[in-house]
Amino acid sequence: MNTYNTPLRRAASIAGCSIFALSLTAPFAGTAHATGVLAGTLIENTATATYQTGAGTGTVTSNKVTVKVDELLDVAVATLSTAPATANSEPAVLVYSVTNSGNGPEAFNLAADPKISGNAFDGTIKSVVLDSNNNGIYDPGVDTVLTSGALATPVLGPDKSVKVFVLVNLPAGATDTQTSQVRLTATAQTGTGTPGTSFAGRGEGGGDAVVGLTTASANSLAALIASLANITLTKSATIADPFGTAKPVPGAVVTYSLAAKVTGSGSLDGLHVTDTIPEGTTYVPGSLKLDAAALTDGADGDAGTGGTGGIDVALGKITGGTTRTVAFSVKIN
Amino acid sequence: MKLSFLVKSLAGAAAMVAMAGPALAAAQSAPSPVSLKGDVMLEKTVSENGVSKVQLVEPKVVIPGDHLLFTTRYRNEGTQAVTNFVVTNPLPSAVTLSSDAAPGTEVSVDGGKTWGQLGSLKVEAAEGGERAATAADITHVRWTIPSIAPGASGEVQYHGIVR
Repeated sequence: MNTYNTPLRRAASIAGCSIFALSLTAPFAGTAHATGVLAGTLIENTATATYQTGAGTGTVTSNKVTVKVDELLDVAVATLSTAPATANSEPAVLVYSVTNSGNGPEAFNLAADPKISGNAFDGTIKSVVLDSNNNGIYDPGVDTVLTSGALATPVLGPDKSVKVFVLVNLPAGATDTQTSQVRLTATAQTGTGTPGTSFAGRGEGGGDAVVGLTTASANSLAALIASLANITLTKSATIADPFGTAKPVPGAVVTYSLAAKVTGSGSLDGLHVTDTIPEGTTYVPGSLKLDAAALTDGADGDAGTGGTGGIDVALGKITGGTTRTVAFSVKIN
Repeated sequence: MKLSFLVKSLAGAAAMVAMAGPALAAAQSAPSPVSLKGDVMLEKTVSENGVSKVQLVEPKVVIPGDHLLFTTRYRNEGTQAVTNFVVTNPLPSAVTLSSDAAPGTEVSVDGGKTWGQLGSLKVEAAEGGERAATAADITHVRWTIPSIAPGASGEVQYHGIVR
């Protein structure tokens, strides 16, 4: 490339500088930080020399060489949920973070894919939401629901990230404790491709945009689990007659027991146990009980009401594995 | 106006005298007998038949992590030897010296105030006290060329990595 006479080459070697001893490191290997120098930064290099001649000392300054740093397109997606998100009648809320690991401002298109091979069921994407208040919790009505067709992050500065919620509904047929996954993919809006692909003039500050090692596209899987519950109601009766023989004769008292057994990993909410008073019988006032604790008949502070019209006991929310028993008595007329 | 003209003309005279005889000191504005020419190239690793090698290409596209080779060429265009030729190069803030860049080159980690081999230099640690300086701390590099004969030329180089 250049020819120099031997003494000068030696002089340079003595001075300790390297001549054509190129480092063999790959161009990307030095990318130690998620974000390097900001896109558009000018690298300006000038050398100055001092010297002596027979006439005294002098200084000389080189020309300035300038290189503009181009925009690196890189992105990282991570799943923030540590455990599978539960889905029941309400959608599962999967939490991801999307980070601009490039060195210039960039927006990223988002795509949520519920069809992952090997999963027990494919969820249905209800919506993709930006965590507008950045608290990591999905706040309906507060966080920004993205409209389909415009699923994208806002422009993120270098090293900045945004949390993204993906709301996933269970499909019909999903059974309790089945799990599935959803893949969220973020791609740089400027473009993606193999590392090194460049988009002329598309970078910050008028430089080029160059695809980094992440290919300017990244994705992460988050899991959801179906959390469903079933209820079985078992009714039984015991009879106490005035003669102690348990015969359904007039004047005998029949005590009905209604066992509400909830199974599954989920829970049921708003549960009521109701029953009517059989024909030919009369409700025994004050006989209503929930799990052996007496309830008053009137519509008051407790969970139940009882009377000639029947009984109604509100059980509220019951988690799987729990049985609540309602009992009441009638007298055979 | 008159004064500046006078200074200029004196300087010119001094330079001419300096060329003619070694007895007089060259004024600051005298044309330097040495030229310095800077250049930068991008070191691109290419793989051919499984063997990777480095090519120097024009730095058209430069991104963080790229390796740049900065070269400063010097040439003694005068008629006398130039001695104790010290080339000082402040590193652009966006560039860190590659650790294998120039073994033996004197470096500074304090903006050019003190100099030495990297291994002997210390910087203030973030948590207090001192720590050994690393390549990322280097602010300046310099080379000393003992003597450049009239008409002779050479070059100094450093390898930098875009931060």
